[in-house]
Amino acid sequence: MSLRQQEAPLRAPADDSDVEEEALANDYREQVQYEDGMDDIDHSSSFGQSGGADLQAQLAAAATPLEFQATLETKILSYDNYCSLFHYILNSEGPVDIEVPSYYWAWDVIDEFIYQFNSFCAYRQKVALKADNEDEIAILRENPNTWGCYSVLNVLYSLIQKSQITEQLDAMKRGEEASNYAGEYGNRPLYKMLGYFSIIGLLRVHCLLGDFSLAIKTLDNIELNKKAMFARVMAAHFTTYYYVGFSYMMMRRYSDAIRMFSHILVYVSRTKNFQKNAQYDSISKKNDQMYALIAICVAFQPTRLDDTIHTALREKFGEQFTRLQRGGPEALPIFEEYFRTACPRFISPTPPDFDNAEINIDPVEHHLAIFMEEVKVNMWSPTVKSYLKLYTTMDLKKLAGFLDVEPEKLRHWLLVNKQRSRQVRWSEGGLLDGDIINSSDLDYAMEGDLIHVSEAKVGRRLVDWYLRNLSRTY
Amino acid sequence: MGVAFDYAPDRPEQIDQILNGLERYNPETTGVFQDYVMQQCESQTYDCYANLALLKLYQFNPHLTRDETITNILVKSLTVFPSPDFSLCLSLLPPHLLSPSLNPSTRPSGDLAESVQKLSVLNNLLSSADYSSFWSTLDSDDLYADLVADVSGFEELMRVRIAVTVSQTIREVQKEILSSWLNLSGNEFEHFVGTVCGWKVDGSKVAIPLNKENEAKGTVVRENVKFDQFSRIVRRAYEQPA
Repeated sequence: MSLRQQEAPLRAPADDSDVEEEALANDYREQVQYEDGMDDIDHSSSFGQSGGADLQAQLAAAATPLEFQATLETKILSYDNYCSLFHYILNSEGPVDIEVPSYYWAWDVIDEFIYQFNSFCAYRQKVALKADNEDEIAILRENPNTWGCYSVLNVLYSLIQKSQITEQLDAMKRGEEASNYAGEYGNRPLYKMLGYFSIIGLLRVHCLLGDFSLAIKTLDNIELNKKAMFARVMAAHFTTYYYVGFSYMMMRRYSDAIRMFSHILVYVSRTKNFQKNAQYDSISKKNDQMYALIAICVAFQPTRLDDTIHTALREKFGEQFTRLQRGGPEALPIFEEYFRTACPRFISPTPPDFDNAEINIDPVEHHLAIFMEEVKVNMWSPTVKSYLKLYTTMDLKKLAGFLDVEPEKLRHWLLVNKQRSRQVRWSEGGLLDGDIINSSDLDYAMEGDLIHVSEAKVGRRLVDWYLRNLSRTY
Repeated sequence: MGVAFDYAPDRPEQIDQILNGLERYNPETTGVFQDYVMQQCESQTYDCYANLALLKLYQFNPHLTRDETITNILVKSLTVFPSPDFSLCLSLLPPHLLSPSLNPSTRPSGDLAESVQKLSVLNNLLSSADYSSFWSTLDSDDLYADLVADVSGFEELMRVRIAVTVSQTIREVQKEILSSWLNLSGNEFEHFVGTVCGWKVDGSKVAIPLNKENEAKGTVVRENVKFDQFSRIVRRAYEQPA
């Protein structure tokens, strides 16, 4: 809820000129007339016949956010618009030759397409749960396939296949010329870009549906680095890292999640002065969300962070950040709050059950509940660790006395903490690959009631010092 | 050591093809996946990535949902605790299944919700390493016996799994504690601990041989020096002779 409201001012077109508004309105009016029993194919004919100006307006509309106050009807019409646009792009005879308004148009279209899918599903769910708006319920009942997950996935997969982008990326990885594998469509920038950003769109859709492993798997062909194509469009760069990081977090791969979030947060903090203001505004909210997520991950797995991030975390969250890291029951509400503000707006893929209003629970609550179970399991690990750090050997019963818990309870905590510090971490290959490592600098083993504690110390770092001084002598 | 999440050693070719193509969204493949789940239950193999694909098909096509397949998948994912598989499966289930506050009479699939919530209780006990409560909860309700019935060797699989996690943290443990963790006593206990695990029972104690995990040896992390780091220095040496 609060998410939607906060997002509203950001998404509302800042100062649309009247001309643009009128074009949009005309566009919708035109579409309304088609409603009389015409199907998608008839829609698409309008692209072929209409003049260039009209087409340009449609293309621009596809990349423009709907007004926040848009009615349900407008939302459904917008879906029809996308259908006919993608139908035209995908099913015309041969590749279509259109001039796109800007180089990041392809990203904007895919981004807005998924954003509208996301908000439509969330809205539908809310209408069903509240069950007080008969008219809207009637409209939604009549249009069960509008913004259906199968058609959204269909568009994304079709764009990927048509552009042969997977083959192109494979070729690039092998160091070959991508255009040899691109085919008739993929050699055109329009298709190539749409195909490429559809992969990132898929990552996002899978994550929104709660399929975190498939979300990460989708990026198998994309190499995550600053040279990647997505890095040229700031919003795409940002979105990619947010969703990959979040998916890693839900798979309990906290060190990988931290790596993702730190990379992009450092990048943003270094480049924010060069970003155009409008673009930067739209990402500043996601930026804050990622700080909340990195705080959660660091609480699960204490890690030395980049100085800029660490300072920013302290500034933003202050005392709360410390409490989060300290664990225990007091930290639970903070985990919950951070998760709520920072998670993607999860959706259910199928139309809700309008006859049983109260079973249409917000999917965010569902994922929050699953996540909080994991938080509760881990809640005592920071306490246990903070004590063990002080000793090399310790008696279990004595420590239980310090902590004021049953010895057997403590034995469970010790088992849990040890299990949770073993984590899968990526080293090379696909993003789902990884080795199991001990992520904690503290290690221990139990011999009866005796706890043996050991610590991993970091040796002196000499290379940097040596290089720095060597370069000074030149 | 490193195994990708989407890799399963025993996955048949056919399933692999479905998973890597668009067929994974085709409602008609539901049957194939369901048979595959049954096969995993019988042959004591496990393939989380394929099971998630089936749950996704159910998510998209709720009318195809088969309750016992869902519970079988969840029970199978318990056998690999403490991995996140159980949670990942839950994420793909309809949100109302997990909500305890709903009135049971209005819930369309009350039985499934009850089963899922019961299995979540088991999962939480396992994640909290409270193994003796896990066994007593499992024995406390006939519903549990029904839920795990399809998974062949469930108890044995759980014991092995518990033993693995225990061996990662413990070098020596009192016999009675281990016995309650494994829910075994007498000859069965001796057999499992001695023959299956290869641990030594010594009076009232059980010794677990040292391994990489329970050694808890202090280490010094040394820095990893790569030649690339020196490339600038070397280049400079050439650029400015003397």
